[in-house]
Amino acid sequence: MSSPTAAVLNPRAAAPRSPAAMTVRYALLSAVSTIRNGRFLVFTAALPVAMYLLFNGLYGQQDAGDGSSLTAGSYLMISMACYGAIGGALNSGARIAIERQTGWNRQLRLSALPGSGYLIGKAFVSLLVAIPPIVLVFALGATVGKVHLGATTWVIAAVAIWLCTIPFALLGLAIGSLATPDSTQPISMLIYLGTSILGGLWVPIDQFSSFLQHVARFVPTYWIADIGRDAVDGSGLQLVGIAVLLGWTIVLGAIGVIAYRRSGDRV
Amino acid sequence: MTRTSPTTPASCSALDARTGAAVDITDVHRSFGEVRAVRGVDLRIAPGEVVAFLGPNGAGKSTTIDMLLGLTKPDRGSVTLFGADPSQAVRTGRVGAMLQSGALLPDLSVRELVSLFASLQPHPLAVEEALERAGIADIAGQRTQNLSGGQSQRVRFALAIVADPDLLVLDEPTVAMDVEVRQAFWASIRTFAASGRTVLFATHYLQEADDFADRIVVMARGSVVADGTGASIKERVSGRRLTAVIPDAGPDQLRALPCVITVEHIGGRMSLQCSDSDTALRAVLTQFPQTHEIEIHQANLEEAFLRLVATEGAAS
Repeated sequence: MSSPTAAVLNPRAAAPRSPAAMTVRYALLSAVSTIRNGRFLVFTAALPVAMYLLFNGLYGQQDAGDGSSLTAGSYLMISMACYGAIGGALNSGARIAIERQTGWNRQLRLSALPGSGYLIGKAFVSLLVAIPPIVLVFALGATVGKVHLGATTWVIAAVAIWLCTIPFALLGLAIGSLATPDSTQPISMLIYLGTSILGGLWVPIDQFSSFLQHVARFVPTYWIADIGRDAVDGSGLQLVGIAVLLGWTIVLGAIGVIAYRRSGDRV
Repeated sequence: MTRTSPTTPASCSALDARTGAAVDITDVHRSFGEVRAVRGVDLRIAPGEVVAFLGPNGAGKSTTIDMLLGLTKPDRGSVTLFGADPSQAVRTGRVGAMLQSGALLPDLSVRELVSLFASLQPHPLAVEEALERAGIADIAGQRTQNLSGGQSQRVRFALAIVADPDLLVLDEPTVAMDVEVRQAFWASIRTFAASGRTVLFATHYLQEADDFADRIVVMARGSVVADGTGASIKERVSGRRLTAVIPDAGPDQLRALPCVITVEHIGGRMSLQCSDSDTALRAVLTQFPQTHEIEIHQANLEEAFLRLVATEGAAS
């Protein structure tokens, strides 16, 4: 065991009692359990990386054509980083369907961990899984894609995209809490691809019909990428984007808490 | 439906101590769609009692336990633990439970898992103590997905006791254990219960219920059909069976004798189910002095149990 986990897991350490301390410990140990399952991390990062390399090879050197100063290369980089990040967040949350099916959630319900602590812990893990795709796609953008940005811009863009995946982490939890283990995978895949395409991650939305362009503005994916692009080209934050993402966060968070409270039932 | 009244001193004290009861279940019902899993269960358990929940699969034991632990809500009726709502009793660390087939979180070692669960309790045991008591100190470093069935059960037991609970609930705890492991396991439970904790365990091993519990609550088809000590249940339900060769006696004549419940004619012998075998035997010998080869059997718990279930089925 590596030394940081040893410190976290030291059984002789004074047992934390407060709900906040329980939440932190739960989040850390869930993260350890997820990180040890390396295959899952590799699979979540592989697809967006491959797609970035493919699209970048095809269109990378063109102008983005959306009226901004972005090149297609940086536009693609942002889109695929978002695509990877929401995939990681969504699928990691949906994995709780497995814990539900095997009955681990029932066991967990017999602890003093509050429902909100469970949600925060799981969302933390989901956000952790969202990091590698962002970092990898950005690294490829900087090297293969020849995207040149200032150090601060890189960091702001990465952190902005990362934080904006919170609604998808909660969406994953809601799916994992409500769907049956068999239907979790297809449902999350459908939502993943649906929101990615509708939000303009694969094809920019200005190539959509005006109706679909209108719809896209209610899809969180669109705003995640939009906020990422704003970070890269230095234009200010759009409040409407923050508002849409906040709205999704509140609704999905509430669904997640309610679903956890119900998850004592056998599946 | 005939509801059986409690027959033991222990359960009487539970009724007296209603407000201080460890478990107080009042007229609880729970259905799943068309299936009425639990149909009006009343149960009070005093602190310090060790109670077995006995019944066949589908009797409603696990559903009752789920409601007791706050994992599912009753459609009707109330459940309190130590006078509080089950979820509050869980939050304050007064309840520990070993769930049936509850999986363990994979990719963690046994020690990490028990340590995680300890850290989610308000006043946990030291992790090493819980591992020791559950007899899994030697496998503490193993990943949870690599354990045998019996080992996993012991880890679940560690998870149940690490909260240092006043009430320990075990849902069919010895499933997947071989005989030796089972004995060692009961020894751990005995030690843990010795300090005045309340224990409720579900089982369909009759011997286990009779050996370990102070009191047996028998469930069948969603209702409590008997509640008492192992001995009192056997006594009350089937009394004793008297078999003998009774020349010239017809079944009707025998059935008319005092304390005789049923009469069967088996291979030249008469078999009499008696509520009081002493009285019945005196009557038989008085009327039929030629009676010989007399045997009297105490029904075993298996028989008692089957009869209880069958009687309840016929009545409903």
